[in-house]
Amino acid sequence: MSDPKSFDKILSEIIKSTKGIKKVILVDKTGLTIAHVSKLSPYPVDVDSIGAIASAVFCASEEQGKNLDIGELQMVTSEFNGGKIFASSCGKGVLCVVTEPDINIGLVRLVMKKSGAVLEEELAKFLSATAEAPIGERDLDNEDLKAALSELERV
Amino acid sequence: MRKDEAGRIHFKIVFYGPSLGGKTTALRWLYGGVEGLRKGDFTSIEDETNRTLFFDYVPMSAGGRVIFDVFTVAGQKRHKHQRKVVLKGVDGIIFVADSDPEQKEENVDSFEELKLFLGDSLGREIPIVIMLNKRDLPNRMSREEMLDSLGLGDNIPIYETIAIQGVGVKRSFQAIAREVVLKRMYK
Repeated sequence: MSDPKSFDKILSEIIKSTKGIKKVILVDKTGLTIAHVSKLSPYPVDVDSIGAIASAVFCASEEQGKNLDIGELQMVTSEFNGGKIFASSCGKGVLCVVTEPDINIGLVRLVMKKSGAVLEEELAKFLSATAEAPIGERDLDNEDLKAALSELERV
Repeated sequence: MRKDEAGRIHFKIVFYGPSLGGKTTALRWLYGGVEGLRKGDFTSIEDETNRTLFFDYVPMSAGGRVIFDVFTVAGQKRHKHQRKVVLKGVDGIIFVADSDPEQKEENVDSFEELKLFLGDSLGREIPIVIMLNKRDLPNRMSREEMLDSLGLGDNIPIYETIAIQGVGVKRSFQAIAREVVLKRMYK
């Protein structure tokens, strides 16, 4: 089974790879944030929301590519006055990197491409482990689900 | 159902339906009006007139380790491809139908599109709850007329709602949340 902490390790390597990367987020293509790492920031950021938007924007661009029959999407880059957002595919997930405005774009793209291949493999293991959880783990899940049902009744 | 790195269980619930039917209103009411569910930030991608361009999104937690990621879609016809994207990985649908007789065709078109996107899994692997919304309209369609036009019987949960007042919204959400959890438990 995949160790979920392996994502932290890979994402931390990305954030340390070059100066100017502020945030690295791994989301799946349904909009769920799976893992993220950030440099310290004075501004609180809702990572779940950023992840949901990153995934949706990437998937919408993929859809656009399909409609126009222009092949597979490699990367989406959004440039702002105060920073850049890069998003690239890694199998069933999307790797999202938030940077300072004056980042070395070529280096970021290279790091994302390299890490994307590793993340694709880890993500496939993680998602299949989640889908086929062993009996003990399923029992724990069921306890959580029962607790959720009770809480829903109390709302 | 998916899990995040911390092992929390996530279910994706989507409010679907025609434009201006009350999807965002219902989600906003859930966000602001329901005590007891822990909620994250309300995220909305909308135009300057507050019409949804892509989706609204709020994570809601029940029981701590179970999270419902609740989305709406943009209802206008031209946003069909965005709706398809939002439906990726959906675990449960709340279909919001508009009781205004002038929206009858819009309801049908939206429901047909949903069936097209989800195929046979709609109502089987992916539970659905129907909200017949805007029941305060003086000229509202009858429940029977709405269900007939959508080709629905009484075999799925149906709630008569007034989203702007929150009437029936919580019950609709509880119903779909319960359905998706039970579906997972007894899979």
